[in-house]
This record gives sequence, C-alpha cells and structure tokens, in this order.
Amino acid sequence: MKKNSQTHYEIQRPASNVLRLTFHFLIFLLLPSFLLLSSCQKTEKPTVVYPSPDTVTICFEHTVSGNPMITDSLIYTTSLGYHYMVNDLQYFISDLAFHYTNGNEIFVTDNDSIHYTDIGIPTSLKWNIIKSHLRTGYCDSVSFIFGLSEKKNRSKRFLNPPERDMFWPEFLGGGYHYMKLNLKYKSDTMMMLMPFMFHMGIGQIYNGTSTNADSITGYVQNYFKVRLPLSGFKFEEGKKKTLTIRMNIEKWFDGTETFDFSKYAMGIMQNEEGMSKAARNGENVFSIQ
Amino acid sequence: MVSRPWILLIAITFTGLFFSCKKTQNEATVEKPTPYTIQVPRYFPNEMNIPSDNPMTVEGIALGRYLFYDGRISGRTHPDSMMSCASCHIQSHAFVCGIDNPNYPGGHPHGVTGIPTPDYMLSLCNLVWNQTGYLWNGSVYKNNPNTSKRNIEDLVWMGIVAPHEMHSDTLRAKALIQSVKGYPELFKKAFGSDRVTVKNMGRAIAQFVRTLISSDSRFDRYLNGELQLTPSEMDGFVLFVTEQGADCFHCHGGDGNPLFTTNLFYNNGKDSAFTANTHDRYYVTGNASDIGAYKAPSLRNIGFIAPYMHDGRFKTLDEVIDFYSSGLVWSPYISPLMHHISTHGVRLTPSEKADLKAFLLSLNDSSFITNPAFSKPVKFPDEP
Repeated sequence: MKKNSQTHYEIQRPASNVLRLTFHFLIFLLLPSFLLLSSCQKTEKPTVVYPSPDTVTICFEHTVSGNPMITDSLIYTTSLGYHYMVNDLQYFISDLAFHYTNGNEIFVTDNDSIHYTDIGIPTSLKWNIIKSHLRTGYCDSVSFIFGLSEKKNRSKRFLNPPERDMFWPEFLGGGYHYMKLNLKYKSDTMMMLMPFMFHMGIGQIYNGTSTNADSITGYVQNYFKVRLPLSGFKFEEGKKKTLTIRMNIEKWFDGTETFDFSKYAMGIMQNEEGMSKAARNGENVFSIQ
Repeated sequence: MVSRPWILLIAITFTGLFFSCKKTQNEATVEKPTPYTIQVPRYFPNEMNIPSDNPMTVEGIALGRYLFYDGRISGRTHPDSMMSCASCHIQSHAFVCGIDNPNYPGGHPHGVTGIPTPDYMLSLCNLVWNQTGYLWNGSVYKNNPNTSKRNIEDLVWMGIVAPHEMHSDTLRAKALIQSVKGYPELFKKAFGSDRVTVKNMGRAIAQFVRTLISSDSRFDRYLNGELQLTPSEMDGFVLFVTEQGADCFHCHGGDGNPLFTTNLFYNNGKDSAFTANTHDRYYVTGNASDIGAYKAPSLRNIGFIAPYMHDGRFKTLDEVIDFYSSGLVWSPYISPLMHHISTHGVRLTPSEKADLKAFLLSLNDSSFITNPAFSKPVKFPDEP
C-alpha cells in the first residue's frame, strides 16, 4: 500500500505542478493588473434614464414687419408716423416651460430658467437646453415670462457682465431691466433724431407728478407671461429639435396700445403708464416657429 | 515559509503601484511659483480677465511691482531719460499722472522726448474686471486678430516702444534688465528661467496691475452696511441712478455694478462734428454708430484723476457736472442713452449738482492710493 501510495503520489505530481504553475502565472498576471486598474477606476452610480430628445435649441430672432431687423438705420415707421431706428436690444426671458398634450408641464431649469438675449452678442441668440430636463411626446405650446418674476428678480444675482449691466436701481424697485430697447426716432416735423430708452422693469407709483424717489408710494411688477401655441410639435427620443422665438419689434409700438414717443420724456423707466402700455403690447410681440 | 514566487509577486505588485504614482524626477525638482488668488470684493464680478498663459503668482506680482517702478525698463540708465510705468501712473492719483503734476502740465503726459500722448490717462484701477478692451477705444482686446495687442501684457511692450512714451526698443530694455543684479533670479522664480524676455516683463507687470483693486470707498462701506452716507451723498446717489435724475448709471454702474463702469463705449455728446482719427471706438469697429464714442471710465477715485474725458477738456468735477447738466451737443452719432439731449442735459439745480458731486466723491478710495502693496518698493533687486 505504501509503495502503491507512493507510486500514486509520484504519478500525480507532474499534474499538480502544472496546476500550480498555471495558478501562479494567472496570479502574477492578473493580480497586479487588477490592482493597478482598480486603483484608477471611478465608481459609477446607477442613474435613471428617461426617454428624452437629443438636444433642444431655442433661437431668438428679431424682425420688423416680418423682415429681419436692421440696426442703426432709420427705415422703420410706426402707425403714428414716427420714423425710428433700433440701436440696442437686450432682454430677459425666464420660466420657460413646455406644455405636453397629455397635460404635463415641464419647466426648463438651465440657468435657473433665465435667458439673456443681446443682439450684439451672437451666442446669446441661442439657448441650448439640457436634454435631460425634457421628455418625449407631443407639445401643444411653450410659455415663458417676459422679464423676471418677483421670485427671480433679485438684486445682485448677476455679478458679471453682460447680465449685470441690466441692473435696475434699488430706488426704482431693484432687480433688473426686463428689457433695454434703445432707439432713436423723429417725426416729419422734428428737426433732429432723438434718443428714446424703451426700458422695462419694475414700475413705480409716485405721489403726485414728481418722479423723485422720495415720492414713490408703491411698485408694480410689469413682467408678463407669454404662451405660444405649437402645432404637431413632438419631442422624439434621440432627435434634435429647434424652436425659434421671434420678437416682432413693431408690435411694441403698434398693438393693443399705440405708443406715442413724444408723450414721454425720452424714456419710460420712471413712467408706469408708459411701461404698462408697453407690457400690454408686449403680450402680442412674440411668435414661434 | 513564503515561497519565492510569492515574494516575486508581492515585489512586482508594489513596485508597479509605486511607479504608477511617483512623479518624474524632472517634475519634482522644478521650482514652481506660488499661486496667488485675488480676493474678490463683495458684489464684484467673479469672472476676471486673467489670460490662461499668465496665471497670477506671488513671485510674478513681486517682480511686476519692481519693473513697474524701475525706470530701467526703458532701456536707459541716465536719470534724465529713464522712464517707468510709474513715471506717469502715480499711485496718489489712482495711477494717472494728476492735473497738478509739475512734469505734465494740465495732467497731459508726454513721452521721454516730449511728445504728448494721443489721449489723457485712464486710471489703473480694477482692470482685472475689464472684459471689453483696454485704452479709451478698447483697441487692445481679447480676440484681437492682431495677437500682439490683446491684454495688459501687451500694453507693456507698446509703452516701451511708443514715441510718446518710453521711445525705446525692446532689445535694449530686456538687455538692461538682464544685466541688473537680482532680476534674473526673480525672473527664474516667477517664470522658471533667468533669461529676461520682454514677454515675461509684460506678464509680470500685468500680474501686478491686476492686483490694483479699489473696493474701500465710503460708498463700498455703505453698500456693505458699515456706514450711512450723508444726506447730500444720498441725494446725489438717487440722482445718479434715476433716469429722470442725472441718469449716470446706465453707463457708469451703481449699486448693481460697483465697478462704476460698464467698460463699454459711448458717444456722450461732447461734440457735434468729428474728423477721422485713431482714438475713438469707430477706429476699432468701423461701425458708424461708434463715431466719437469712447470708453465710459470708472468713476471710482474720481476726485484723484482729473482732468476728465479722453482729451482732458474738463479740469474739474464741477465742469463735468455742468457739461452733463446743460452742455450736451447733438450729433447723429450720440448714444441713445443720452436721452436728455433735447434739453442739452439733465438740467440739475445748483443744489442737485452739489449733491451729485458729494456722491461722486464718496467713490474716492484713500486706502487704494496709500496701499503699501501698490507703492514703489523700498529698494530695487540690485540695491543692498
């Protein structure tokens, strides 16, 4: 038995060596590789993925009577006969939301849902929306706030230009201009082209006819909501979508209200009557493609 | 007893791990300058104009301060012809030359040969937040196709060679600085090489200039809730930021923009006729709407920086206020923000003018003009 056992042992030995060598080889090769690789590997958390469109881009266009706006040229006329040119245009829209036919409403949350547009800054004429905020499906409309609501219109929220330069002084209500539309105008009887600052923001109620800050008795929120209908618009999974929001400039002056430049002191920032008139017209200023 | 293969395995594993983390020998021995972080004052922008190839460092700023004040960067050693940045940029005047400067009558600087500068001076104050371009017309700007005129760094070589400034050449300038004991070591500490280059001279001075921050005026303390403005200052502030008041804020900032400039360019109604020149914004953009437009300068330290406007036409702050009150003249190019043009200005009463002036003077920052960190070094690198 002993001999047999020894013989048996001797017979098994070569096979055992092969296994051991293979085991060592694997350990030599795999263990260092595993350690080196695992030392650099990040952990990944599982994420929930909803079906969403690939990218959504909002483009901003500015037209006068259906044609692309040309700045610094005295080529436009209001219904009251004022000839005007547009020099600068800067504005905020906020709380952009997509309304789905199934009743869902999804607010864009990028940049706290505030977008600044400046015709002098080409990159501001597009707003690329992070896709994960949206879902696939049919939308029947898009809505936004023109300007900033009370909740968002906090002073010093923008410390950097260009948004910073839209600040609206504390004495006049604080926060930011909703819009700066700088233009020049003249009538056929005026000798010179006159500047006009069509600026909108928080309005003030003054005691009497004074526009001294000391006479302010209250403030008026002049922002307004715009809802634009969409027809057959569908967000599809993995597909890019582009929407164009168009500001029809002439409608600021000729809409529900007819705007008479000469009635105001070259600006409306401290004239709530003028700003509220602008706001009423503003509700029909935008269209969408 | 542990078998030999296991010892080998452990050795290989730990050697691999050790070398995967170890820095190369060269990296370890290079002496890196100490990063410097600008402390952004409350309500100031957090985006700064610091080029990626010239990060702020303690050593770079220290070198820049020496060079800013050292007349030898003009490449000359004779006292009569040496010129430094500080020959004209004087701290007590918020880094303009000052209207009372005996060397520059009326506050109009001139170069080493007596040629006057094309424009009057702009203060070197809070330039690290200027994103739109330097000089009165913004001709030195970030994306300039002329890559040698893009930032503060470039203003250094421009100053060295300009006939109306140092009127020197860059070879002389760098050769002289290279020969000054102590400077090569400072360049090595700041930029890793003891070879003096005009590029690194510009980088160092630009770093120093970016530290020239003014944020401690009476108005700053008011904004921070540390003091109350006087009634006159307060009334002036209201005038400053109201459209039907003096309406300064659209171009010069205010409580929402404590730099007191948008750093943008406006035709503010000084003139009715214009001739082609290389000074205004039109020269840079070619847009007719920029004819006669110049940078709205910061109003910080306004009491220290007379005379005023790009051509120094107003010697006092009172003259400036009078101009905006009733001296505006119309032209087709006037900024649409100058909406009071029909009455030639904002029509302030004497009392309102006094209030506005009181507010403007609350923007003076005496700690800025006395800050030792901005002053001439006690001694230069070659002085014992």
